[in-house]
Amino acid sequence: MAIDEETVDRQNEATLTGQLLRSFLILLMILFFGTGFAQAESQVVRVGVYENAPKVFMSESGKPSGIFIDIIEYIAKREDWDLEYVPGTWAQGLDRLARGEIDLMPDVAITADREKKFSFHKIQVLSSWFQAYARKDSGIRSILDLNGKRIAILEQSVQQEAFTRFSEGFGLRIKPVPVADYKTMFEMAARGDVDAAVTNQFYGAMHARQYGLVDTAVVFEPSALFFAASKNDPKQLLEAIDRHLSVLKKDTHSPYYNSLRRWTSEKVRFKVPLWLQILALIAGVALLMSLAGSLVLKRQVNARTRELWQINQEMEQRIIERTEKLEQANQKLLSEIEERAKTQKALFISETMYRDLVESANSVILRWTAEGKITFINKFAQQFFGFSEEEIIGQNIIGTIVPEVETSGRDLTSLVYNVAKDPKAYEGHVNENIKKNGQRVWVAWTNKHLMDESGQLVEILSIGIDITKLVEAEKELRDTMAQLDKAKVRAESADRLKSAFLATMSHELRTPLNSIIGFTGILLQRLGGPLNEEQEKQLGMVYNSSRHLLDLINDVLDISKIEAGQLNVVSEPFDLRESIEKVMKSSQPLADKKGIEFSSTIAPEIGVITSDRRRVEQILLNLISNAIKFTEEGYVRLRGEVRGNDIVIDVRDSGIGIKQEDMGILFNAFQQIESGTTRKYDGTGLGLSICKKLAHLLGGEIRVESEWGKGSTFSFILPKEGEKV
Amino acid sequence: MKENILVIEDNEQNLYLVKFILEKNGYQVHVATDGQAGIEKANDLKPDLILLDIQLPVMDGYAVAKNLRANPLTAKIPIVAVTSHAMVGDRDKAISSGCNGYIEKPINPDTFISEVELHLIKK
Repeated sequence: MAIDEETVDRQNEATLTGQLLRSFLILLMILFFGTGFAQAESQVVRVGVYENAPKVFMSESGKPSGIFIDIIEYIAKREDWDLEYVPGTWAQGLDRLARGEIDLMPDVAITADREKKFSFHKIQVLSSWFQAYARKDSGIRSILDLNGKRIAILEQSVQQEAFTRFSEGFGLRIKPVPVADYKTMFEMAARGDVDAAVTNQFYGAMHARQYGLVDTAVVFEPSALFFAASKNDPKQLLEAIDRHLSVLKKDTHSPYYNSLRRWTSEKVRFKVPLWLQILALIAGVALLMSLAGSLVLKRQVNARTRELWQINQEMEQRIIERTEKLEQANQKLLSEIEERAKTQKALFISETMYRDLVESANSVILRWTAEGKITFINKFAQQFFGFSEEEIIGQNIIGTIVPEVETSGRDLTSLVYNVAKDPKAYEGHVNENIKKNGQRVWVAWTNKHLMDESGQLVEILSIGIDITKLVEAEKELRDTMAQLDKAKVRAESADRLKSAFLATMSHELRTPLNSIIGFTGILLQRLGGPLNEEQEKQLGMVYNSSRHLLDLINDVLDISKIEAGQLNVVSEPFDLRESIEKVMKSSQPLADKKGIEFSSTIAPEIGVITSDRRRVEQILLNLISNAIKFTEEGYVRLRGEVRGNDIVIDVRDSGIGIKQEDMGILFNAFQQIESGTTRKYDGTGLGLSICKKLAHLLGGEIRVESEWGKGSTFSFILPKEGEKV
Repeated sequence: MKENILVIEDNEQNLYLVKFILEKNGYQVHVATDGQAGIEKANDLKPDLILLDIQLPVMDGYAVAKNLRANPLTAKIPIVAVTSHAMVGDRDKAISSGCNGYIEKPINPDTFISEVELHLIKK
């Protein structure tokens, strides 16, 4: 701030006389009282001094001067401080303060960095700001009037940067003209080389008028200025400074304001000619004139002071408001940052989770464009198809993982086109795919269209599951089924052949038997003429054998039909009593022949039932014939009863009975139980087996109770209302 | 004079047997050895009963029965199927073709006449 020096000097000429006088008085005071005061408990306060007129500077006479000096001297006097000035540069002063070599440094703005190194009092001494000065006729009133103007700015200074920022904030196009010092700037402004000049407000206030310049409303970069003390203020100076400042700032006539006036606008007063002052001082003649001048001046000064005070207040208020806003904005920003960090973290977790899910899912996950270009493929799919991400991303799915033609011959190129065209139709779709090594695989796909906000197709998301094994198993199953079908057809045709064979055999066997049985029968009836005893006996044997052969053929036929499932039973109403009586009647001759009692007891409720008459009669005849056959003496008794929905017909005999161990094989085909006697009974051994099977077909059953040597009871249980099977 | 019975049967021995039994029991027996001939005889003679084998040359017994039933001249003549066709549905098939009864071969000489007369009486 050396630039300020010259101007200050010039100004100081005016006060030279006053200062000399004052210096003299102070010298006297020091001579008479100084030693005494100094020896009292006065505290030494070392104050850094540097050149920054009018705030702080060394006068021509080498005495520290300026607003800050006036104030600290005022306070020192009242606090009994012994001030010791330490001149130096601004930087030296701060260094010394940091090292504790001085106690106070005037005119220091608070910054974060300085707060770490120094301590500050609370009530600001001055507000400083930068201000633009222009000629009275420039017409510049506000910042907006600076648009397109040439403005002188101190070269490479903080002001330059601040002013540029400030003007850009208003969107103005200003031509800055860098100048080396304030003095030159004001000279240029006065000449009209520039439209305005930017200086700090103190310099401007002190010098603008002498250049015919006025201050404008263009004010920026305000800062508060304080005394800085050594860190933690070891001499406890700051509190005293605040105390005095608060009192000083309340009273507009206080030395504080006097100092401000003196260093900022006293030049008005100093326009009064020097000779007049000297004259008044030496002669004291023009006292009245002087008094009148003083009054005028005082009014002018007061008005100026008020103005300054107001400006100061306004600036302070602006700083407070701006600081508050900044703090609010800062707080908001902090919470926003915190919020964003939280969201980001949640997003990261969610993203990680979904990525894991997609990458490690046991499904093929693909994204591809409508043209078929692959844009995403998950890890599983890469491994599955054998392509690396670099190999496949950006490639068309046709020719990479989708073969052009399926093994079945289906054209898959058009399929891809169709999937992109009609998402719904191909939402779930199975087709053949191909691995990098050429292996064909089957994949069941789920295709989904991904749209943007306007509903335009962006990509297709396809999720696939490898179903090759399933498809193969299905094919195997189909083959097996086809084979089974063939086998079934073969079996059915074999069955038909068997039926045809049985029908033929039945017919072919019966035809000759018809002759044998028929003619022997006729001969035995003597229709062919008389027979002698031997002829009759032998013809009887032929007749019986042929009957037996017929039974055998019939039984074999029945068993075959039952086992082939070809024996169908009918279901029609018939009189069961009539059938029983018919069977009894036809069996009577056999019983009579053996001389055994043959009787029946049929309950009166037994009448018409629904079943297969012929088969029921066949069963009854079989049971009765058996009973008679195995009974040598005693009885065969039939008893018919109704039990609930069933008819129960018991055929009880007093025959040889059945051994317990033979019960299990009793109903097996071709099994005739050894009687234990020397006698071998006639019979095919198929009768009971057929009876049991027929009874089942009719919805009933055959049961047996027997005691070896005492007889047996066979029970035929038959539903009254048999269903068609 | 007893009733006329037409026997349609291609097996010589069976024909002889049935004819023999019926004649011994006093019936007038006419024979035909294939389906077509049987229908012609039935139309000519208008017998009181027809004993019809099923397995016949030229035209089988079912067709013969249907033909006779369809012809007003022979529609009322009782027809008894005499056959060794003992397979499932044979009986039903014979009845549905127009036969009145069914005698299974081989015939039982003891009961044959009574079974035949059952249908004659129904006339």
